[in-house]
Amino acid sequence: MMYYQLLGPEITVAVLGLLVLAGSLLLPSHGKNALGYLTTIGLAAVLLAVILNFSREAIFFAGVYQIDMYANFFRLLFLSAALLIMLMSSRYTGLFGERKSEWFSFMLFATLGMMIMVAAGDLIMVYVGLELMTISFYILTAYLLNDRWSAEAGLKYLLIGAMSSAVLLFGMSLIYACSGSTVFTEIYQALLAGSERPALLAGIVMMMAGLGFKISVVPFHMWTPDIYQGAPTPVTAYLAVASKAAGFAVLVRILLIAFPPTSLDWKLILAVLAALTIIIGNLTALPQTNVKRMLAYSSIAQAGYILVGLVAANTYGLKGVLFYAMTYVFANVAAFAVTAVVEVAEGNAELESFNGLGRRAPMPAAVMTICLLSLAGIPPMAGFAGKLYLFSGAIQGGYLWLAFIGLLMSMISVYYYLHVAKAMYIGISSREDRVLLPVPVRIALWICLLGTILMGVYPGPLSELTELAVQLFSAV
Amino acid sequence: MSDHAALGVFLILTLVFPVAAMAAAWLFRVKSAPTREKLLPYECGVDPKGSGWMRFRVNYFLYALVFLVFDIETIFLYPWAVKFQSLGLFAFVEMIVFIAILALGLWYAWKEGALQWY
Amino acid sequence: MIGLNHYLLLGTVLFGIGAYGVFAKRNAIAVLMSIELMLNAVNVNFVAINRFLQPAAGMGQLFAIFVIVVAAAEVAVGLALIISIYRHRKSVDLNDFNLLKW
Repeated sequence: MMYYQLLGPEITVAVLGLLVLAGSLLLPSHGKNALGYLTTIGLAAVLLAVILNFSREAIFFAGVYQIDMYANFFRLLFLSAALLIMLMSSRYTGLFGERKSEWFSFMLFATLGMMIMVAAGDLIMVYVGLELMTISFYILTAYLLNDRWSAEAGLKYLLIGAMSSAVLLFGMSLIYACSGSTVFTEIYQALLAGSERPALLAGIVMMMAGLGFKISVVPFHMWTPDIYQGAPTPVTAYLAVASKAAGFAVLVRILLIAFPPTSLDWKLILAVLAALTIIIGNLTALPQTNVKRMLAYSSIAQAGYILVGLVAANTYGLKGVLFYAMTYVFANVAAFAVTAVVEVAEGNAELESFNGLGRRAPMPAAVMTICLLSLAGIPPMAGFAGKLYLFSGAIQGGYLWLAFIGLLMSMISVYYYLHVAKAMYIGISSREDRVLLPVPVRIALWICLLGTILMGVYPGPLSELTELAVQLFSAV
Repeated sequence: MSDHAALGVFLILTLVFPVAAMAAAWLFRVKSAPTREKLLPYECGVDPKGSGWMRFRVNYFLYALVFLVFDIETIFLYPWAVKFQSLGLFAFVEMIVFIAILALGLWYAWKEGALQWY
Repeated sequence: MIGLNHYLLLGTVLFGIGAYGVFAKRNAIAVLMSIELMLNAVNVNFVAINRFLQPAAGMGQLFAIFVIVVAAAEVAVGLALIISIYRHRKSVDLNDFNLLKW
């Protein structure tokens, strides 16, 4: 019976998604807003349930499904990201026309997929959760039916994403061949006894390639700018924040639990990839004029920073991964929320549309500036604390050069983040009317602002939470 | 070794059959040059009218899609049906939940007009 | 004897053919077919490993069933997206989808 209490969040999200789907058939078109409220309240309730049950752990179904504090931390992250996206998309969903209510159910299914992925203890569960999340995102990316950019982004995402899923699966099949089981702990036991085999190397590398696509590290990052630019802005925000965090959660769990250190020196591979990602992500963001595209390239660079924490693989590094992923949620959602507001008001998300926003909408402009500075790593915002953990972990792990590259590129990134601030406060625009924000968007922006500043000034509570969550890996 | 021999015989037969069929057809064909009338598409004996291209009917695709999804559901139903007796009540209720989710999907497709054939 | 190596080789060759198709084909539907081929190659791998290395457990066959189901769902969504983009661009040639670029 304890099953249902701990699986309650997943069951509730699934039932909510199906209810919204049924409601979209039964309700008349003017009652469809109720589905948005239902989704938001439901997500808030599930978030509360996860917070209250944070420290309860269990392993279900012979090791296949593992609810521990690590999984609970990421469930918190996904649910709060989903809640913030639901709040900030309140005016944007008007663009979806009569398909608005199914959008909510797809968002719920994507959240469900992520929650399954991070609690998975077995390769099959990882694949099922990954595909549930990814297929929901294929549909969500192409959701603006009358917009050719959205359709093209959806198709490109599907073709590239399906191919990388196939590569991931091939890697999983090779790992299954070398170890005879798909459960992580059993793979570890089986691989301890064996030696380094080419098939195992190929399997681990292909699996890292497949997951590397999801977190957009450098050889696999080409899809990111196109899809982030073409997709509807709330979907881009969710993709940038939660899908990346889910990919990292799975990558950390698999690499640290399933493979003993003798099988492959994956730290060196990931260190080189992290360095390349940070450099290329930051350098290609410099000349961008479209803010969504600039945020896409910056998110590639942020993935590089988080990867540094995984490379270090000590307590500081892993705490940094979790801490930075959480602060990244708040900063990025706020940035995309303001971009969505500008996009609805002006029609596009070019840098010129941000001109004069400091006068026309002072609160969003201030929130945008603070959150972009948090992404750049300026104290006292939360991004600084996160980067402190990440780079301390890297230095402690002996990767001095990686920390140096990260710091150097962080300094360079301030330039393109401040481009937007310059346009907002110094740029001259022809329009002088105030940009009005609907109330949910305001609430979302305030939550993000408070989160970013609080976590930067007082990182204690979140730091303790991440400490609890990474205890899972200290035994390995 | 006999496995390889079987595979080899299979390969040779696969190659020989189509070639033999096409060679027999070529042998027994009347050998004359194609004229313009001979190359016209067949339209029940009368002269063809209009263009050969037809508008893509989305109904075909939607039906195929719904069929595909329920065929895949059947893949899950078969193992459950085979082991039904020994699995007990828990598996029965679980499968009813699964079928209910798919029935919801079918209802959605029905109401949205995917199954209407115009 | 036809052993595990033959089946793994078959799986790898099919995967390679599928990968070639994904990179080299211009028609979007042909790319989807190549992706299906890659996923089925992985299925061959899983079932062969299950049969020769771990006949007692059924994990490989289970994984193969899940992959079949997920691949079917993915292709359904893919075809719907191709129809959606066809309505805008009147073509399924991948070289024509060049709105999003540097």
